[in-house]
Amino acid sequence: MSDVLLSVENFSGAFRAADGRLTPVLHDVNFALRTGAITAVVGETGSGKSLTALSILGIQPATFVRTSGRILFEGRDLLTLGATALRAIRGRRISMVFQDARAAMNPVFTVGQQLAEVFRLQHGGSRDAAMAKAIDALRRVSIPEPERRARQYPHEFSGGMAQRAMIAMAALICRPTLLILDEPTTGLDVTIQSEIMELIVELGRSAGLTACLITHDLGVVAETCDAVVVMNAGRVVETGTAEAIFTAPQHAYTRKLLAASLLVPA
Amino acid sequence: MRASDYVVLRTQALRKTYRVAGGRNLVAVDGVDIALHAGETLAIVGESGSGKSTVARCVLRLVEPTGGDIEVNGRSIMQLGSVSLASLYREVQMVFQDPTASLNPRMTVRQVLHEPLRLHLAMERSQREKRALALVDMVGLPAAHLDRYPHELSGGQRQRVGIARAIAAEPNVVILDEPTSSLDVSVRGQILDLLLRLQAELKLAYLFISHDLQVVRHVADRVAVMYLGGIVETGPAEAVFARPTHPYTRALLSAAPVAQWGVKRVRLRLIGEISSPIDPPDACRLVGRCPLEQPSCSRKRPPLLAVDAEHSAACPVVLGHEREAIPGAEALSRRSGGEGGATGARL
Repeated sequence: MSDVLLSVENFSGAFRAADGRLTPVLHDVNFALRTGAITAVVGETGSGKSLTALSILGIQPATFVRTSGRILFEGRDLLTLGATALRAIRGRRISMVFQDARAAMNPVFTVGQQLAEVFRLQHGGSRDAAMAKAIDALRRVSIPEPERRARQYPHEFSGGMAQRAMIAMAALICRPTLLILDEPTTGLDVTIQSEIMELIVELGRSAGLTACLITHDLGVVAETCDAVVVMNAGRVVETGTAEAIFTAPQHAYTRKLLAASLLVPA
Repeated sequence: MRASDYVVLRTQALRKTYRVAGGRNLVAVDGVDIALHAGETLAIVGESGSGKSTVARCVLRLVEPTGGDIEVNGRSIMQLGSVSLASLYREVQMVFQDPTASLNPRMTVRQVLHEPLRLHLAMERSQREKRALALVDMVGLPAAHLDRYPHELSGGQRQRVGIARAIAAEPNVVILDEPTSSLDVSVRGQILDLLLRLQAELKLAYLFISHDLQVVRHVADRVAVMYLGGIVETGPAEAVFARPTHPYTRALLSAAPVAQWGVKRVRLRLIGEISSPIDPPDACRLVGRCPLEQPSCSRKRPPLLAVDAEHSAACPVVLGHEREAIPGAEALSRRSGGEGGATGARL
């Protein structure tokens, strides 16, 4: 089970101010994503969890610069790849689900058009065939009346339905090896949240996906993830299996975060 | 237990509707009765579209109610004009969800705190300054922060300022609208502890609006669960968490994830998404989504029925059956044991 799909190694980085000064924000970040597992990267505001995830896809803010380290995906350092090489990986090999699905979609195209367009970019084929794939993908994420829904615009979707469509695009249309989910259920109601997480786990299992869940919510992690990386203030403070993190946390920060999540004294 | 029998805030048959396209009515709040007693915390729990925030806003007349009555300290506030409304805000204050959006970015903490003291208590400058110093101290901020602007404070510190502003005019009711939703979990606990301490010191009654069940369980004396504009279950917090009765309450509680290893939830799952609030039929609010639905559920909207002395739920189907036979009840009563729940639920 030591089959590692992606590893972040000694990754450090900083924000560059207009005058060229660097403010370090990531400090020697190390973790690995095991093939077929769901790994959570957990942390609070400013922990660097999202910045690390965005760096994997090369979509970090322009002012962020790497100062050391590498991100290895199938033996290649993603941080050294040029725009063309990265584009071949984005979507096709590694895809991403964002927090606010309605904001992440294009408001002037129907949901079906957007899924179909991504399908054609990745796999080619006719418009009609792509739309059929889009409708099929919406059906597989349990969106009722997928034919009708495919003709609707993102604003006509509820937050939960839009996130389902986003997952359909990122996991089923793209068929990546690695799926990164950045706070996919933040802002959704808890009854919807639990359904979305179940969908993610189910797709992970059935499609053999490796997933990386970026989240601040340890409750979600306890039920769905195999491994956990805990980050605080730009550093990885603890990594381990989900069971070990929840039953025998080693680092003081992990213990504090767990106690705070349960509202019990640390 | 209830701190007092004196009712500081009461709503009766509170209703708020909005006119939408085609002359139809969107019913946001539909016949809500609540009674908040002096010194207690009543939590209104619900998801998006439940109407919980609209209730909070109606109580301050930030949203004009369409019908029903609201009494604050025994006085109906429905007919108050703009001048008398100012006097209402001495008695009822609000802490908002987003402390960044609810503080004026161009005002220092001092200016934010002086304003209610000047408007509501007509204090002189020197008195105001003394009181502002006392207020920042009460909410755990150093005096030096009086000269800071909101952008120079962290999210938790900003919420402390929001709380200081709310208690400045010495109200006896504070509406807390998701006061910790925009905060990190480590800060959430500190703000809740602060709110509980202030409540004890100042004998405040809290109307606590939240979707966070963990938080509600931590702070509430009583709970009202709202769904689609109405209260579907209400009672003492421990009773509602230990014996959730309405299918919606069970679905909600059994969907909330717990940050503990091996907690196995027995889910009660609802079908689809929340129904349309536009011209809703005279039927149970959960019709079309409820796994326990009976033909009678569509005929008439069920009233709140007694579960125990102070615990009631609007579900004749569940209350007519042996409750333990229905999914969602067992896991929850197990989870309710002990602090943080889940005792004996480890696998």
